Formats: sequence, C-alpha cells, structure tokens
Amino acid sequence: MNSRRIGAAGLALAVPAVLALGGCALNGTGGGSDDAAADASGEVTGEVTLQTWALKPTFTDYVEGVIADFEEQYPGTEVTWLDQPGDGYSEKVLAQAAAGELPDVTNLPPDFALSLAREGLLADVAAVDETLEDTYVPGALDAYRYGGLDGTFGYPWYLTTDLNYWNTAMFTEAGLDPAAPPTTLEELVAQARTMKEATGEYLMSRKPGLGDFAAEGLPVLSEDGTEFVFDTPEAAEILDVYRDAYAEGLLPDDVLTDAYLGNSQLFTEGKVAWSTGGGNFIATTVENNPSLEGKIAPSPYIGQTPLYVQGVSVSSQSANPATAHALARFVTDAAQQEEFARQVPGIFPSTTSSQDDPELAESDGTPQGEAKRIAFGTLTTARVLQPVEVTDAMTTIVNQQFAAAIAGDKTSQEALDTAVDECNKLLADQ
Amino acid sequence: MMAGRVGTARVGPRRVVGARSAGTVTARSGTRGFSTPSPREVVLRYALLVLALFVTIGPFLWQLSTSLKGASEDVYTTTPSFLPAEPTLDNYARAFEAVPILGFAGNSLVVAAIVVTGNVVGATLAGYALARLRFRGARLVLGALLLTLLLPGEATIVAQYLTIRQLGLADTLAGVALPGAIGMLNVLLMRTAFAALPKELDEAAIVDGANAWQRLWHVGVPNVLGMMAVVAIFAFIGAWDDFLWPLIVLTTPEKFTLTVGLEYLSGTFTNNPRVVAAGTMIAFVPIVVFFAALQRYFFRGVDEGAIKG
Repeated sequence: MNSRRIGAAGLALAVPAVLALGGCALNGTGGGSDDAAADASGEVTGEVTLQTWALKPTFTDYVEGVIADFEEQYPGTEVTWLDQPGDGYSEKVLAQAAAGELPDVTNLPPDFALSLAREGLLADVAAVDETLEDTYVPGALDAYRYGGLDGTFGYPWYLTTDLNYWNTAMFTEAGLDPAAPPTTLEELVAQARTMKEATGEYLMSRKPGLGDFAAEGLPVLSEDGTEFVFDTPEAAEILDVYRDAYAEGLLPDDVLTDAYLGNSQLFTEGKVAWSTGGGNFIATTVENNPSLEGKIAPSPYIGQTPLYVQGVSVSSQSANPATAHALARFVTDAAQQEEFARQVPGIFPSTTSSQDDPELAESDGTPQGEAKRIAFGTLTTARVLQPVEVTDAMTTIVNQQFAAAIAGDKTSQEALDTAVDECNKLLADQ
Repeated sequence: MMAGRVGTARVGPRRVVGARSAGTVTARSGTRGFSTPSPREVVLRYALLVLALFVTIGPFLWQLSTSLKGASEDVYTTTPSFLPAEPTLDNYARAFEAVPILGFAGNSLVVAAIVVTGNVVGATLAGYALARLRFRGARLVLGALLLTLLLPGEATIVAQYLTIRQLGLADTLAGVALPGAIGMLNVLLMRTAFAALPKELDEAAIVDGANAWQRLWHVGVPNVLGMMAVVAIFAFIGAWDDFLWPLIVLTTPEKFTLTVGLEYLSGTFTNNPRVVAAGTMIAFVPIVVFFAALQRYFFRGVDEGAIKG
C-alpha cells in the first residue's frame, strides 16, 4: 500500500501543471460539473465504464458478478470494466484526466481524488445523493471532503486500518509477555529496552511521522486546510522520546536512512519484533516467510487508530451521469461491500448498516481471525490520520527533519519549525 | 562504451610501448608490455571484477532463487540465501496460469521489432547525415537534438500521449512503439561512430565517384556495425522494459505488453514474491537471447575497419 500512497502524492503535484498543458489541446476539459450534476437524475440506461485498481485477476469473478447484478437490476445498461495494474496508477489516471477520457466511475483513494476534484473533474456526489449520511460511515465520507472545496467527491468503498503485530517468539526469548504487548509509547520504549538488554534484538522499528502526532491527538493541519500546525511542544516531546531511544540503541540505524525498507519488511525478515499493518498482514507475511507462522500476535494500534479509505468517484465529464452514479452506488452498497469483505479478509465495508455485521465482528480464534476482530472493533473510532494535503515532497521534508532531530543534529522544536515552514510553502503553492 | 573498452584491450598487446616507469625497468618487466600487468595486479584486477560481477548480478540471482523457492521457504531473510532448499518450477507454472504471458510477450515483440528497426535504420541515416554530409543548419539540427535530451521523459509523457491520441493511435501497439522509434541518444551515438572514421576514406570514395548513399552503404556502415549492434540492443532493452508509456497508451488487456501484463501478478491484496520473481525471469529471457545473438557484433571493435591503427 505504501508505494501507492507515495505515487498519489506525486499525482497531486503533477495534475494542475499537466491539465494546464493538456487544456490547449482539448476543448472543455474541466469545469463542467454543474451541468453534469443537473442531468444526473435521468434514466439509468446505456453504457458506462468502471475502472478498478489492481483487482484482476484475483477478484475477476467478484467484480464481474457485481457488474452482472447491476445490469440485471437496470435492464438496458452495459458496463465496460477496466482494471489498471497496481504500479503507475497515478500516472495512468493523470493521462486519462488530461485527455478528457476519465472513466465514468473510477476507484480513487482520497488523495488522488483531491487533485482531480481541484480541477473540477469529479462530480459532487452529495448533490446527487441526499442519503449519503445515512448510507456511509462519517469517517469515510469525510475522507472525500476537502478543506477549500465544496462537496463530497466520492462514494466510500472499502475501509482498511492498521493494528500492531508482534513477533511472539522474540518476545518470549526476551522474557517479555507476548500477551501483554505495549499499549503506549512509554511502554513501547520500556519493552524495547528490556528486549535490547536480554537478546540484543530490536522492538521499535520506525521513526515517527505526521500520522503519529495525529494518533496522539495532536493537530497537524489547521481546520480550513490552509496551514500546517504540527510544531507543538507536545510533538517535540514525542520526537524527544524517539531521539533518546535512538541514542540508547533501541532503534535499528536503518530507520533514519534511505536504506530503510519499512517496518513490515524488517518484521518479515525477523529483524524487529514489531510492525504495524492491515487486517490481512498475517496472511501476507506468512506467505512471504512461512517460518513466521504461529509467531505473530495482533493487538490494537497505539493511540488513535488510523483509517484508510478507498472510494469510487464519478467523472464530472461523464456522458451518462445517471447510470454512472447508479453504478457507483451499486458497487458501494452494503450487500456488495459485505460480500467483498468476506472475500478479502482485512477490508471492511464503509456502509453504516454493515457496522454490526456479526460475521465481521467475530473471531475464529486464530491470530488472523483475532486481527480481523480487533480491526473491525476499532474501525468505528478510527479516523484518517495523515491529511490528504500532504504530498510526496512534504513527506520527504518531514522525514529529513525528523531524522535530523532523532539523530540529535538539531533540537526537536527546531526540526518541527523548519518542517512546518517548508511544508507551508509547498502547500501555498498548490 | 563496451565496444571501446574491448577494442583497446585488443589493440593493447600489439603495441609494446615499454615499461611503465623507470623503477620497474628490470629483467622481469622487460618481457612485458605497457599494458601487461604484474601477477599481483592480475589478482587485484580479477578480485575487483568478481566483486563488480557480484554487485551487478546479485539482485538478479536473488530474483532467480526467489522464483525457484518453494511455498514453505522464507523469501526475506537477514542473510540472503541464494540456494532454494526445495527448488520448484511451480511458480513459473502459476505465473503462466495467472496471465497470458505468451500473448503479452508477442505484443512486446511487435513493439520491440518496430523500435529496433526504427532506431537502427533511422539513427544510422541521421547519424551519417550529421557526421558526414554538409548542409545548411547542420549544427542547428544537432543542437536541437541535444536539447531534447535534456527534457526528462516524465515531463513530456502526457503531452506525448495527447499527440498519439490525436493521431488515432491510442490503445495500439504502433502508438506504444512510435515515440521510441528513433532515440536521440542513438542518433548521437551513430554520429560519433561515423565521425570517428577517417575522413580520407570518404574522400577517396568521392574521388571514385560514389554518391552519398553508396558512401554510406559501402564505406560507412561496414565500419560501424559494432555501434549499430549497441544501438539495437539498447533499443530492444528500452522497448522491452518500458512500463509507464505502454501502461498509459494501452487500455485493452489483450494488447498489453509483457511488463504491463506481468503487473497482474501483484494485485491489491495478493502478492506472492515467488510468482512475481518467476514472471520477471520469464520477461528476462528474450533479452538474453537477443544479446547472445548480437554479441558477436557488440564486441566488434572499431579497429576492424579499413584503416588499422
């Protein structure tokens, strides 16, 4: 997931520039959302295109089933399904947008949708569907509402979240209780110290990011989305904790450099005893390294649980908006989403009526089932931690400054001040 | 680059220039030429070569071994293990099952064929013209070509897509191949190769009454076969490995090239590194075949021309 999110940030930077360029060659790119919304109440019939992101071939049957059901429910409709490969999706969407050939219904994560919405390429779904609030959970809807833009630019689709995963073998070896993993940053540092002293292994596996501040309830971005405000003394304290832990040798050296592969990679290699990951983490990890089977225990995320949202947006240029909206609603309705969640352990429906689905809430007793139960349980309070306004370039700045603070090259407050200044400059340019 | 290095290595032993410095003029070094190293140096050279070899092919070996590893073996370990404990070809079978690899490879071959032909023919013609023909604005053309090299591909990719789309070539293999059909860098390479030939050769041909085409075909081309092979291989690898451009141009899955099609092996919620590695290996085979077929020319130095150094 991580590399894709970075790709999205790149898109955010590139879209306005390229659309300006593409605008010379094309007539009427952008700016048509009002007319489109007007006739969205027309008859549901005719052809529309649905674009998904890397669901083929594993979920071909599921998607084709959804499309068949839709065509059956609305006779006269015909859905063309496009599935784009995982890599390069931001570039592909960007090219489609510049050429004015964005599919009628497109799966876009909130950060992709933001850059397209800024250019007026996405329909405001709230203008068409007045039951949004009743149908979808608020956290998911909020992900498609942006400061400075009026409207909701996508129907929420599936949700994912993060939780903690611990290497129980490394815990036991270090004399720690895998059934009582850390629940706060202080405990994390304390247990990391114990592990370091007992076996020389690492427990902590990453440096903090903006999401960690949000997880501790600290402000990151101002309410109206116009400036960053994460240079608080509390944030500096968090950086100080990491700085001291790093000086003590409780973090692998790699975490501050480009050689850092990510905590899940280090966890899979057995180099660290802690990682965060989605509900499907155990299955993936065990597939990569079968020797970890039975050695992974899940626990709830430390602090505020993050929420990751996927949604489908409707193009404001769609020639058939009524059918496009109907299809987008159909793909994201409770029944379809619940079925999808059954096929992919670790993802959850964004529909309100699914939130007390007993099947999703129960665990089968395996660590995998337990992870699903914990993830689903924390979903109701989860929220989007990293603002969608944060681009790739900002993440780089934040990483550099935080690395400098943790390495002790400058004080935490200095690093935060610099990062906020630089990020605000970039934000103002958007 | 490659051709040049090998060329000097061949020329080396023929010219015995003498000892490297006064200090080493001894009976021992008397039999050795300028570029004949001492035993200690030989050992050092080979050690460095082996190191470079390992650094270069290490990641490749890792992919190869990953693609052969069984489902119950760890892929990511603290110290990389290159020998699969339970070797299996299962992953290759699964890659073939999951995606129509042969169809994708066929598409890639079509694109590569257009690009290689376009580059070998086009860059040779353009390179010769720039190196040997005198015409108004020759320097301007060369300058313009150099300037286009400064633009990063990412910056022009969307504009390029709009162009291809307006030509009606969106979602076609021709649309994928055309923008890469003549690479500016290849034109420069060919120009340099032609420029390196002694002018006297050309002048002699002119005296004999040869026109430009005859001079190109009978005097120029036979002497730059090595560089043409380099261009062909670069063009082939470039076309074969390109991912972003075909992804943007193509929409219909049946038309996908291999690099784009192999992406299907790593989906949103499913990603088995062993199968992905197997797919990578399959995509790699044609490059090896192509290189093996051309390497005779690839390693042919400039010194095999008409005038020997």
